[in-house]
Amino acid sequence: MSKADEEKKSYAAVFLLAVALLLATGVWVVWDDQISRRPWKQHQFEFSRTQIDRAEAEVAAEQKRLEESEEYQKVVADLDAARGEIAAGEVGRQLSELDGRENSARVAYDEAEFALRMKKSEIEEAWYEVEHAQLTHHDVEGPKKHLAQLEKERAEIEQSVSDALAKLNQILSEKEEIGSVVATLEKKKQGFESDLERLHQKVEGLVIPVGPFNFPKIPKIEQVVLEEFDRNAYNQPVARVDRCTSCHTAINKDGFEEEPHPYRTHPNRKLFLGTHAAEKLGCTPCHQGQGAAVNSAEVAHGRVKYWLDPMYKGHEVQASCIGCHANVRLEGADKIALGERLFEQVGCVGCHLVDGYGEIPKVGPYLRRISAKVDADWLVRWVKQPHEFRPRTKMPNFYFDQAEAEAVAGYILSASEKESAAWLDSHDTPVGVDTNDAALVARGEELANSLGCRGCHGFEAGESPALLGDAKDVAPNLSNVAEKTNARWMYHWLKDPRGFSPDARMPSLRLSEDEARALVSYLLTLGTKPGDDSATRAKLLSADNVAQGEALVRKYGCAGCHDIPGMETESRIGVELSVFGSKPLEELFFGNRTDIPLTWRDWTFNKINEPRIYETDRIEQVMPHFGLSETDIDAILVFLASRQEAKVPETYRPASLEREKTLVAGRRVIERYNCVGCHVIGGQGGAILARYEENPTLGPPILNGEGAKVQANWLFGFLKQPVPLRPWLQVRMPTFGLSDDETATLVRYFAAEDRISHPFVHVDQARLSPEFVAAGELLASADYLSCWTCHQQGDKKPEGPQEGWAPDLAMARDRLNPDWIVEWIKDPQALMPGTRMPSFYDFSDDARDGPEDVLSTDLEQVQALRDYLLSLHGPGSATMAADEAEEPAAAPPGDESSGEPSNDAAAAGDVDAAAAPVEG
Amino acid sequence: MLNKIDGLVRTVGFAACAGLVGLSAASAYEGGAVTGGGTIKGMVKFAGAAPEQATLEVNKDKEVCAVGEKKSKELVVGADGGIKYAVVSLTNITKGKAFNGNAILDQKGCEYLPHVVIVPKGSELEIKNSDGILHNIHTYSEKNKPVNRAQPKFKKVIKEKFTEGEMVKVTCDVHGWMTGWLAVAEHPYYAVTDETGTFQLTDVPAGEYEIKVWQEKLGESTQKVTVPAGGEAAVTFELAAK
Repeated sequence: MSKADEEKKSYAAVFLLAVALLLATGVWVVWDDQISRRPWKQHQFEFSRTQIDRAEAEVAAEQKRLEESEEYQKVVADLDAARGEIAAGEVGRQLSELDGRENSARVAYDEAEFALRMKKSEIEEAWYEVEHAQLTHHDVEGPKKHLAQLEKERAEIEQSVSDALAKLNQILSEKEEIGSVVATLEKKKQGFESDLERLHQKVEGLVIPVGPFNFPKIPKIEQVVLEEFDRNAYNQPVARVDRCTSCHTAINKDGFEEEPHPYRTHPNRKLFLGTHAAEKLGCTPCHQGQGAAVNSAEVAHGRVKYWLDPMYKGHEVQASCIGCHANVRLEGADKIALGERLFEQVGCVGCHLVDGYGEIPKVGPYLRRISAKVDADWLVRWVKQPHEFRPRTKMPNFYFDQAEAEAVAGYILSASEKESAAWLDSHDTPVGVDTNDAALVARGEELANSLGCRGCHGFEAGESPALLGDAKDVAPNLSNVAEKTNARWMYHWLKDPRGFSPDARMPSLRLSEDEARALVSYLLTLGTKPGDDSATRAKLLSADNVAQGEALVRKYGCAGCHDIPGMETESRIGVELSVFGSKPLEELFFGNRTDIPLTWRDWTFNKINEPRIYETDRIEQVMPHFGLSETDIDAILVFLASRQEAKVPETYRPASLEREKTLVAGRRVIERYNCVGCHVIGGQGGAILARYEENPTLGPPILNGEGAKVQANWLFGFLKQPVPLRPWLQVRMPTFGLSDDETATLVRYFAAEDRISHPFVHVDQARLSPEFVAAGELLASADYLSCWTCHQQGDKKPEGPQEGWAPDLAMARDRLNPDWIVEWIKDPQALMPGTRMPSFYDFSDDARDGPEDVLSTDLEQVQALRDYLLSLHGPGSATMAADEAEEPAAAPPGDESSGEPSNDAAAAGDVDAAAAPVEG
Repeated sequence: MLNKIDGLVRTVGFAACAGLVGLSAASAYEGGAVTGGGTIKGMVKFAGAAPEQATLEVNKDKEVCAVGEKKSKELVVGADGGIKYAVVSLTNITKGKAFNGNAILDQKGCEYLPHVVIVPKGSELEIKNSDGILHNIHTYSEKNKPVNRAQPKFKKVIKEKFTEGEMVKVTCDVHGWMTGWLAVAEHPYYAVTDETGTFQLTDVPAGEYEIKVWQEKLGESTQKVTVPAGGEAAVTFELAAK
């Protein structure tokens, strides 16, 4: 092609194409960047639209309401008429005439006022002349005369100013009078329209108005920045950015509960967002996921490969509760609470170390003297398959074959032989136990039913007063107890559990010998008595068998749950689970299983459900089978998921953390000894009360509010050494033999439960007002409130049967919190719904309820009763502890009862509430 | 739609209709003048041999309480098998005679007098303490808020209001044997049977009603009754031990 041709050639088409491409690319870039990769914008537009539509609908509804309101329409019509009148009618004419007069009056006033100012200047000048004449010794009289003349003129002008002003005001008030009709109507109309106005403002707040059109606001990223929440690879604190609300626009707004995600209100907004400031904490501290991502829901929810914390689904989210809270016995945290409880109490901690759970006492029985306790044939059966004998036992199944079970039993019997023999030497076979003595057996059964045994133990197959999760008994079911043990062990165990096993959870019920004999006779009728086991024993104790057994006991980690002679230095055999929730999939061994989905959750569920499931020919597994329900396993999964590497910084944890720790420590003691089998504590427990529905007065006291009620020092003494407070009770507060540490933990727990920061009290009797003490004594007398009709005072007992009595008020000074006494007398039902203690006063109104001839107010009377009670000094009140707790649902009383009549009489002190029945 | 419902109600018949009205009107009784009203007379009988009344043990405040022998009143059967202290009431009446009046419950000789008292809903029950010793009024109820008020010597009278119709048990925790019942009435057509087991409801507007008997030991029973204008209807209930 020649050069000329080249120059003539047109590239217009190419340029056009290139420009078009460039343009298209430009448009695509903007589209892609601003729209297709910004799904959250669309969400915000959508939600905005919904909100605007709703607000506009509200405006329309309000407008319609006004249109249909006759009152409103009348005001509008009246207003229009009044305005029309002003514009065109007689009133209008008057008004315009007044306007004219107002103008001229204003002019007149302004002129007069100006003249006055001019005159004042002239007077200033005249004063100057006078003073100047004085100083220069000229004639003063002339200037003075001029001044006087000016002053006179000024007075005249002032008069005309005030006249003009009066005239003007007159005209203005006439005008106002005419206008006042309109003003009143306008105000009235505004009153009607205030809601409409508010709704209009709401719409305006939601939109950008452009001319007559309302546009939704321009979307923007909504984010919460949590400073120093996370740690980077170098363990340096870094901020977490949480942008969830960019899409979840309505999560913290009421009224969108029925909308689809992401426009829906949080399903439990009040509970979760009300107590956790969402604007500071965002969503991911609880829900996980990839908070900073906004380009797609999948990514933001962390459901992508290699993102380690995908968003929790459903109740899985409860795994986060325990990252901040020490105490998870909280509303909305039922799964994690159950999971933690199971983990602690079923025995997981025996083999698996978890930070914070390493100090939990061994959950299984003490085996150092087991040889003295159990039948050898039974022991083999038990070791082989414990669930056969007790389907709900916590003891798991190790899948032993007969030979292995015999070996394990052999080692245990052999290892405990020496200590057992020593124990047997000092604990003789009891005399008088007789399963054929029907009366004795019946007495034993009655004792088992009345002393409180059923707070923990079931006596019929399948009966379980206290369940751990769905499937585990807190204490053994005794329906076949005669098959496993003997009268001698049972007798001494019942009399003094700690005499056999130094850390027994079973308390002493302070049984008399007769009671113990009766109980043993009864218990021995439960199940078939075993035959002679000496042959089995001899066989099991063969050296080979014992040696084989020792290896098995070591291999399967029996010492994790039991105290076994020779195994004192064994450590936990299981994997540490402190950060198990963070364990990546690659570290989970699926064995040859190809049928199990490759997720953390599936692996863990199946491992607990069927512990040997991943075993292969080369890899042996030793975890035993616990027989937990799917719900329970699910709860344990939530707990395990919470074992994360990342720790929530202290600054993000609740301010009440110390209190929570106190509650957790107390709960552990309470659950270890199953106090909640009998008592309601912190609103939970009290299973045995179901047996006292007819007469709750006879059941163990409810302990809600105990921390506010009793003095810490008293409670400490009572827990260490309970004494009967309510002699009419059959059910008996046992002696647990708590250590000082356990006791103090419980005392702190009760105080924390009621948020009492200083639970100690000292009453100085010398400082009580004699006037109040005397008035209180008078009030308590039979002529007034008759407190002693029901309450005991030291040796002075009320009339009638014991079940009609109320606690010993002589113990009040040492036992009760003085502030509590006042609150109690003021309204017993408020503190203990259902109590037998009646209200003597009603402080809900000002009317006087108490006798009018004592002191001057009801409150003073209550305080006088308190002072009087504090002045009482009952026999032994300082040493007797007293009861504790609150009264059972229906009655005032109390705690434990002592069982023996002799005990009752001596100890008689019961007390309970201190509140005397007072009356009003 | 309303017409449809109306039609449906008509076809279902009077009984169902009355039932519906009864439900919806449970809290709205309209009292006024009744002309040409009828009377329901009847008797509540015990099926079987009359049981003996247990003797109550008075073990406290004997100088005041042990006046004569105290018998349990939980089931009192007269000579002809008539049961005393049964409460008879219409369950589905919405309009009838004026509804007012106040009730009195006395504590005398450590007994509640009367043992069963009809308390018009919303009225003030006057509770007297004629004994001059400490009593307490402790109620057990489902719909009304439970009350547990002391009434010592110097409190001759206290008042309490019950706002929901139901049977309320009253006990005294000081004297365990004391038990009484309050029949909180929704309307004036309530009666307590006398020692012959008979009762009477007067000025009942003519119509068909459901009538109910309640007895603390024997439970409840209902039947239908048609009251003729100006006439008399007879009802007999027979209750057996549960």
